[in-house]
Amino acid sequence: MSRLEAKKPSLCKSEPLTTERVRTTLSVLKRIVTSCYGPSGRLKQLHNGFGGYVCTTSQSSALLSHLLVTHPILKILTTSIQNHVSSFSDCGLFTAILCCNLIENVQRLGLTPTTVIRLNKHLLSLCISYLKSETCGCRIPVDFSSTQILLCLVRSILTSKPACMLTRKETEHVSALILRAFLLTIPENAEGHIILGKSLIVPLKGQRVIDSTVLPGILIEMSEVQLMRLLPIKKSTALKVALFCTTLSGDISDTGEGTVVVSYGVSLENAVLDQLLNLGRQLISDHVDLVLCQKVIHPSLKQFLNMHRIIAIDRIGVTLMEPLTKMTGTQPIGSLGSICPNSYGSVKDVCTAKFGSKHFFHLIPNEATICSLLLCNRNDTAWDELKLTCQTALHVLQLTLKEPWALLGGGCTETHLAAYIRHKTHNDPESILKDDECTQTELQLIAEAFCSALESVVGSLEHDGGEILTDMKYGHLWSVQADSPCVANWPDLLSQCGCGLYNSQEELNWSFLRSTRHPFVPQSCLPHEAVGSASNLILDCLTAKLSGLQVAVETANLILDLSYVIEDKN
Amino acid sequence: MLSSMAAAGSVKAALQVAEVLEAIVSCCVGPEGRQVLCTKPTGEVLLSRNGGRLLEALHLEHPIARMIVDCVSSHLKKTGDGAKTFIIFLCHLLRGLHAITDREKDPLMCENIQTQGRHWKNCSRWKFISQALLTFQTQILDGIMDQYLSRHFLSIFSSAKERTLCRSSLELLLEAYFCGRVGRNNHKFISQLMCDYFFKCMTCKSGIGVFELVDDHFVELNVGVTGLPVSDSRIIAGLVLQKDFSVYRPADGDMRMVIVTETIQPLFSTSGSEFILNSEAQFQTSQFWIMEKTKAIMKHLHSQNVKLLISSVKQPDLVIYYAGVNGISVVECLSSEEVSLIRRIIGLSPFVPPQAFLQCEIPNTALVKFCKPLILRSKRYVHLGLISTCAFIPHSIVLCGPVQGLIEQHEDALHGALKMLRQLFKDLDLNYMTQTNDQNGTSSLFIYKNSGESYQAPDPGNGSIQRPYQDTVVENKDALEKTQTYLKVHSNLVIPDVELETYIPYSTPTLTPTDTFQTVETLTCLSLERNRLTDYYEPLLKNNSTAYSTRGNRIEISYENLQVTNITRKGSMLPVSCKLPNMGTSQSYLSSSMPAGCVLPVGGNFEILLHYYLLNYAKKCHQSEETMVSMIIANALLGIPKVLYKSKTGKYSFPHTYIRAVHALQTNQPLVSSQTGLESVMGKYQLLTSVLQCLTKILTIDMVITVKRHPQKVHNQDSEDEL
Repeated sequence: MSRLEAKKPSLCKSEPLTTERVRTTLSVLKRIVTSCYGPSGRLKQLHNGFGGYVCTTSQSSALLSHLLVTHPILKILTTSIQNHVSSFSDCGLFTAILCCNLIENVQRLGLTPTTVIRLNKHLLSLCISYLKSETCGCRIPVDFSSTQILLCLVRSILTSKPACMLTRKETEHVSALILRAFLLTIPENAEGHIILGKSLIVPLKGQRVIDSTVLPGILIEMSEVQLMRLLPIKKSTALKVALFCTTLSGDISDTGEGTVVVSYGVSLENAVLDQLLNLGRQLISDHVDLVLCQKVIHPSLKQFLNMHRIIAIDRIGVTLMEPLTKMTGTQPIGSLGSICPNSYGSVKDVCTAKFGSKHFFHLIPNEATICSLLLCNRNDTAWDELKLTCQTALHVLQLTLKEPWALLGGGCTETHLAAYIRHKTHNDPESILKDDECTQTELQLIAEAFCSALESVVGSLEHDGGEILTDMKYGHLWSVQADSPCVANWPDLLSQCGCGLYNSQEELNWSFLRSTRHPFVPQSCLPHEAVGSASNLILDCLTAKLSGLQVAVETANLILDLSYVIEDKN
Repeated sequence: MLSSMAAAGSVKAALQVAEVLEAIVSCCVGPEGRQVLCTKPTGEVLLSRNGGRLLEALHLEHPIARMIVDCVSSHLKKTGDGAKTFIIFLCHLLRGLHAITDREKDPLMCENIQTQGRHWKNCSRWKFISQALLTFQTQILDGIMDQYLSRHFLSIFSSAKERTLCRSSLELLLEAYFCGRVGRNNHKFISQLMCDYFFKCMTCKSGIGVFELVDDHFVELNVGVTGLPVSDSRIIAGLVLQKDFSVYRPADGDMRMVIVTETIQPLFSTSGSEFILNSEAQFQTSQFWIMEKTKAIMKHLHSQNVKLLISSVKQPDLVIYYAGVNGISVVECLSSEEVSLIRRIIGLSPFVPPQAFLQCEIPNTALVKFCKPLILRSKRYVHLGLISTCAFIPHSIVLCGPVQGLIEQHEDALHGALKMLRQLFKDLDLNYMTQTNDQNGTSSLFIYKNSGESYQAPDPGNGSIQRPYQDTVVENKDALEKTQTYLKVHSNLVIPDVELETYIPYSTPTLTPTDTFQTVETLTCLSLERNRLTDYYEPLLKNNSTAYSTRGNRIEISYENLQVTNITRKGSMLPVSCKLPNMGTSQSYLSSSMPAGCVLPVGGNFEILLHYYLLNYAKKCHQSEETMVSMIIANALLGIPKVLYKSKTGKYSFPHTYIRAVHALQTNQPLVSSQTGLESVMGKYQLLTSVLQCLTKILTIDMVITVKRHPQKVHNQDSEDEL
């Protein structure tokens, strides 16, 4: 019997953002995310105090999923970032830092939420339309005919995750592998609508990163003994495959809601086994070479099939079913009776392979878009981080395929964008305000808060006490090391801007990022030759960054708009 | 003593409760309102500006508070709007009542009579007041709506005869609605989305039925996607099911679908029966039979061009396999709501696998335009192009947002808007009593006469919807002629030209529809016989443009916008159907109706108007109770615009607006509203009646007895009047 209990009344708090507790928790969260940002970001070790799993990471997805946030406002913030990351994989920390900065900066101003939200929205749409426009000075087209830019994109992602613990050489190797794995998933003769394949990441922990590799087809892990038992097939033509999704263990399937009475002496097990052997006979007569089963195959059937030189592999698991279906072109069989001949598929060849201490059964496809990425790393935590990074990189490549543009990374986009907004709000405020009730002063204040939030994101790239500068022509970011002499010849100290597009040999003017500057027009429209010549650019995914920007501003607006928090205490 | 405190506190306690609720609710009312964050016990967070949700989330303990929340919930369930206004209005009413008792109680206190007696005296007084409230609500309110307020109503339909919806006025209505329901950075977008949805789903002849369907199945008609910006929300043609295909086989050409509610594969035994297995061979043959039977059924479906199987239960592997072999896509495990939605759209009953093997055609199949997987943020959905057999053209809304809480808020608001529209498109019957021995008598007589000319009286009370419409059609033709002739006369007059000149300030480049409607209203005000002008817009428009063609661009723009709002004079034109034979006596019962689609500009217009007319009414009243009740209601009504104009200063502050409005009413000039947007009169009317009912409920309670845990144990009759 259920117990009815009176509900406790909820706790209702007004103006939640003004309380000290919320401010401190927000600033703690901000400190955590800022310190993780960028290639020189600090790692976080997360463990739950009861022993068990320890996670070392600097990625937002791992970090936020392990953090336990209790305050509802923080929960809104973290879930919105997690949701962003789960749909775009990249730019999670950027979103988090920008959102925290926006809330903090705007709160200091003390304007009414209505004005703030309205203006933030205007500024956001200004950013979005600039980043999407032809004249945008911080994005470059992605050329799929050469691997250069794609490699830059992958490499930037790998270098920005220091917890992977990769050396320079390893980074090069892994980025090349990721790119290969991605290219293998693109169908060769695609017309119009492209359906991408899948790269499966196969773990191989405790090995050197350099040993990682990409293989076409699917690897099924097996014990050595099992593998020895499989007889080698020598066949010149493709192998015929039957893939079962139903169990072949001899269970009696669903008998309905009524009762089934079995007379004494009747053995249903035997009856079912007979049925299974009949199935085996059919498979033999259909000249099947390979039987794969998602669930369990009855040992007798297995034995029977082996006797007739058919390889039978069971317990494949549901995760491999879809790639297997796709690769072999089979139709998963759900019947123990007659099998339709067109539900068989084929593979080009099978072989056994040994990587490290693991043994695999390798299915080699005829022509398919499924590949396996064997990923090695020294220890568990570093491997987990590397796997997440690879997934991110693969996802980013997919997104880039849809929208073939990349943004300049290394903080250059943010500084450039901030310069653009400053210039726009100073020189053309009417076009932004239009028919709104906001005044120009309010716009200046909010724009300054917005730009400095963007610039603080960039500022958090620097963790070693260095200085960050910006040039007054392109609006790019330049960083100086901490121990450099204060007044010096800038071109000698600075070699390259953050993204690596420009070098200091040009006649440029620099100023400190945090100092007040006169607004200037950042040069738009990237010259083509500049993009072509640079081989080592730092690049970001356009789609992910655009969405990150939107999510950050929308979430900040949402949080600034809160007037009450009602906590259900049940 | 204790019980006396309880009784005296009944209004006081209710007021205290309502004031606390008002404080919370008033922060998110109106366009300037802000968001409230609610956490659920499960740890989820919900953003809301929905008054009903907030009140429920509070989990109030106080019995009166719980009663108020219940009243709000039941009101919301019906109308989908007005929870916040409910609380504010109730609070002001209670304040008014409390003020009266305070004034009267003081001398009593000095006299120090026995408290027990005073308590009962008070109780009976409250009872009188509550009865007076009830009388007001049932007998007087409708009359005021019909006789005074209706002349200010606008209609959302561009032509009342065919009830064609005017898109721009629907936009205004929805924008005003969403202003109070979703975050202010999204309300424009969401209202646009709703408007698009509305027009995409409707066929030209769809009626109330569509609203019912969409309202009932709103949960199934939208899909929430987290992690994307709100601006990615969109409308998709066809139905999106939140499931993936169990097996998908691309198909084209003539595609049919079936719905099943049980497993297609025959089972050994059904519920309540027994299956006796005597031999292994028997088992094998029955298994073989089952297999062959399933295969045959699926083949048969295939032969009938069935390409899609929709199942409310999980189908066995065997069925899925044979479906795949036969090129049939399968969607399993649909909820009963989803199945019933599909059935309502295509009017299809479930397919029952035939017992005996039949080669005949399967009766229960339906054509499908397409069925394909839809990928939203790397999650797969089933996208069906159903061919509708009802007036609803299936479309799904994809709602995106950074967090689930925000998506839920938007979903909630969209659903509320649907409810509001559903109410708006209903006619409202007004029944009231009027005194014929005062001035009203002549006017009601006039109405009677007027209506008698053009149409027969429909059945009182239970007149079907169909008939009055036919009447209206007949009437409208007459009216059209009248209007045209009248307008010709009107345009021959020289006055309007001059008069209109003065209204030019209203038609500034940033023309708002409400502004332009005033121009029209001016025209109507100039007309001596207001009743003559029906909502025939086009003749009026034509007339205008011929008469003032010299006016230039600015007016031209305003004429385009004029489409937005139309003047309904139907309220006063509608028949006074039932009149008691005893005309000569002092009272007569009238019944009339408010046509569907009546709206008023936002910004407290309804409240100020009703306030004004109620005060006028109260002046004419003879009975003290009636006067008092009218006064209290009239004053409480002003509480709502007061909150709405809280943040406004200077010319737009509440006192200025109020004075302007009253002045305009006194001099018979059109009301000027500083805000754009429209709101449903129906919603307001229902809100008013709900609040009054809630108040009568509160007033009739004389004592609150708290029973703790064990009712059988004898308790002191202690009351609870502390908050």
